[in-house]
Amino acid sequence: MASPPLLTDIGSDYSQRYGFRNPEQYFVKAPIGLSHEVVEMISRLKAEPEWMRTFRHRALDTFLAKPMPSWGNSELLSQIEFDQITYFVRATERLGESWDDVPEDIKRTFDRLGIPEAERKFLAGVSAQYESEVVYHSVKEELTRQGVIFLDMDSGLREHEALVRKYFATVVPAEDNKLAALNSAVWSGGSFVYVPPGVEVAIPLQAYFRINAERMGQFERTLIVADRGARVHYVEGCTAPVYSTHSLHSAVVELIALPGAHIRYTTIQNWATNIYNLVTKRAVAYEDAVVEWVDGNIGSRLTMKYPSILLKGERAHGEVLSIAFAGPGQHQDAGAKAIHLAPNTSSKITSKSISKDTGRATYRGMVKVRRGAHGSRTAVQCDALLIGEKARTDTYPTMEIAEDDVRIEHEARVSKLGDEQLFYLRSRGLSEDQARLMIVNGFIEPFVKELPMEYAVELNRLIALEMEGSVG
Amino acid sequence: MSAEPVLVMPGLEVERISDARGEPAALRAMRRQAREVLAEMVLPDRARHLWRYTDPRLFVPHRESVGAVPTEVRADWVVNGSHSATALIAGGAVRELELADVARRAGVTVTDLHGADVEETLGSAVPPSHGFVEALNTAVWQGGVLVRVPAGVRLAAPIELQIVAGGSGSVATPRVLVLAGESSSFEIVENHLCGTLESSHVLGISELLVGPSAHVRHGLVQRWHGGVIGHLTVRARLARGAKAQLSLASFGGAVVKVDAGALLEGEGAEVETCGVAMGGNRQHLDHHTEHLHSAPRTRSHLDFKVALTQAAHSTYTGLIRIAESAGASEAYQENRNLLLSADARAETIPELEILTDDVRCSHGATVAPLDAEQLFYLLSRGLPPGQAQRLIVYGFLDQTLRRLPQTTRERIEALIAERLHSED
Repeated sequence: MASPPLLTDIGSDYSQRYGFRNPEQYFVKAPIGLSHEVVEMISRLKAEPEWMRTFRHRALDTFLAKPMPSWGNSELLSQIEFDQITYFVRATERLGESWDDVPEDIKRTFDRLGIPEAERKFLAGVSAQYESEVVYHSVKEELTRQGVIFLDMDSGLREHEALVRKYFATVVPAEDNKLAALNSAVWSGGSFVYVPPGVEVAIPLQAYFRINAERMGQFERTLIVADRGARVHYVEGCTAPVYSTHSLHSAVVELIALPGAHIRYTTIQNWATNIYNLVTKRAVAYEDAVVEWVDGNIGSRLTMKYPSILLKGERAHGEVLSIAFAGPGQHQDAGAKAIHLAPNTSSKITSKSISKDTGRATYRGMVKVRRGAHGSRTAVQCDALLIGEKARTDTYPTMEIAEDDVRIEHEARVSKLGDEQLFYLRSRGLSEDQARLMIVNGFIEPFVKELPMEYAVELNRLIALEMEGSVG
Repeated sequence: MSAEPVLVMPGLEVERISDARGEPAALRAMRRQAREVLAEMVLPDRARHLWRYTDPRLFVPHRESVGAVPTEVRADWVVNGSHSATALIAGGAVRELELADVARRAGVTVTDLHGADVEETLGSAVPPSHGFVEALNTAVWQGGVLVRVPAGVRLAAPIELQIVAGGSGSVATPRVLVLAGESSSFEIVENHLCGTLESSHVLGISELLVGPSAHVRHGLVQRWHGGVIGHLTVRARLARGAKAQLSLASFGGAVVKVDAGALLEGEGAEVETCGVAMGGNRQHLDHHTEHLHSAPRTRSHLDFKVALTQAAHSTYTGLIRIAESAGASEAYQENRNLLLSADARAETIPELEILTDDVRCSHGATVAPLDAEQLFYLLSRGLPPGQAQRLIVYGFLDQTLRRLPQTTRERIEALIAERLHSED
């Protein structure tokens, strides 16, 4: 460990007595590479409680001990150089880049999507905040009145330590997998949401509203707890491409739906195509609770993301609705898991993927019914659309059933963009481009209609961009 | 990740086997090569789905012996009904060969594989690199037949192979090679039986080379006793316009793994795989199927049904792979599991890997209990519960058998009925 315990104690004592909370001046960026020293620095900088510091160190040991997954795209995974990554950068430090450094294609996409100037800079990492303060203010007042906590994870830990400690890493323990261990060791940013019993949050909570927070962290950590009978819709990310010079993004998201609660979590991931997006997302649903993951994967070089739901209480229900668009050179390795642990639980997984040119989309899923989870039902539906003779799609579903009184269904279909449909649409006077776009839009319609309106509009524009020049 | 070396078996006496059987040089070379491949292998990684649910170590035999062989040919090993040819493999040797006149006149041959000239063909569908069980079999197989049906020959009656597992502690390593000439058409059925009630290993390989426009119906009917730990690998290579029907019927054994598949290598080739598996007691059944499309306009169809009682455990993994070179292909895959007891367990992993866009492909899998409505209907017609349940299970499995040749279908149906009645 980096520093002798005595010095650590002195440090935390200072921060309590004198409120030296802004050590940014002294330390804004960790050295390259990963070590206990780096973990110690991150934790001390954030003035974290002892349990979190210990948690991080243990997680690092786990990370170092665990092998990389032997499944999935090993070729791409083996290219990640963990020693070449900077594991912590203060938000303000990210402003080092200028607008001129942002790649042309990203700027062009901002243009085409009609993203406001201020927001563009924010998304491109050139500005740390964008002017949503006015919107945020009224949202914040309403939330406070209801007793809803909506903070970035670092502030959440500072201001609501007991709550965070109670739930943090209970759904995704550091030992879960190598990348979850990595995130546990070096996490920074992400959201902490707590909705009190019976409270229904009327508008979707968007990470957007949290100004000046470390929203786009490389290793963000989000924890959402909906107490008994509470209801919340959380929206993360956005459809505009997120530009980052970092090559690895590895988040952990934990959702806890206590009895009767309802959580919907919507993400549309559109990282620039140099990013490895390796994310662990898992929810636990207690009696009569409902958890829904609405998950879109458009960007990144390689995404590995399998939103999971542990159906722990009787009659709990889980849904995963996802789309993936794999353009040239991209591999979207996405899927879903539903683990039925209690009687009469139900789950529904709908996955739609589009592989274009040399793109590859993979559905990797798991449905488990444990002994005793009688009366459980699950339906899995995977549809893959292929555009171009080098496009690739895989379906790897796994179903493990240890209970006889259950109904498990899995169906998958693979098809190419149909000549007949195209012919029909062209005979109606549409150009080939328009016709293709219309078919693709029809294909992802079940996903788009679940999105908040502004996202749906942006997603449609984005798909139009991705489909450009697909003729021939 | 497992890094244990597979085996350093004292029984890998490749030379001794070749000497004793007076094998041609090519066969001896093939055994030596397989032994070398095996020496480099480690046991499969359990994280890979193919071995996720079955411990590969179970299939590593601890003895070299092919075991004591009953000298008499038992009545239940004899094939009844009409047939074009029969062969009996027991105790590591071909015990009987019989060829009907009509087949002999047509030029059909069924011969002992130990003396055959099969340099170009043996191992071409299942090479030693396939896996450790296959490398092991290729190094030390004993008791094999070569079936050759010349071009244009169509056989009305089936060719029947009776393959008997050995006695206590033995390891049977049977090997079957079927060469179907251009435009030939016939049925061949392998019956895997037991000699004794004692525990033993069976590690078998069957290869089918189906020539252009040939049509082969291959059946694998496995009814071992409860002491057998068995692994059977079946691969058919299909040339241009060839058709194959692979049917699997698994009833017996303590731990059974079957790896069956087709390589669709010629344009327009078609394969249909039909499987039924019944598990009871504490049986562990693991079936893997593969349809690999590498030529244009190929088609595959798979229907695999599993019914489980008591504490039986079944794993099904199926792969459809359509290569970039296999445009305009179609593939369908369906796996249905019926769980008849709270202690039964089933896993199903139907996989698709599609590398080109001009395809039609779908798969489905279900796991469900006995349909309460069907049961209610039958009970309302006055059937006792036991009989009603048997009828539903029978109907569930029988749907898959519909496309099989009549006599084989009837034989498998009889085995299903027998098994259903023995469960009471």
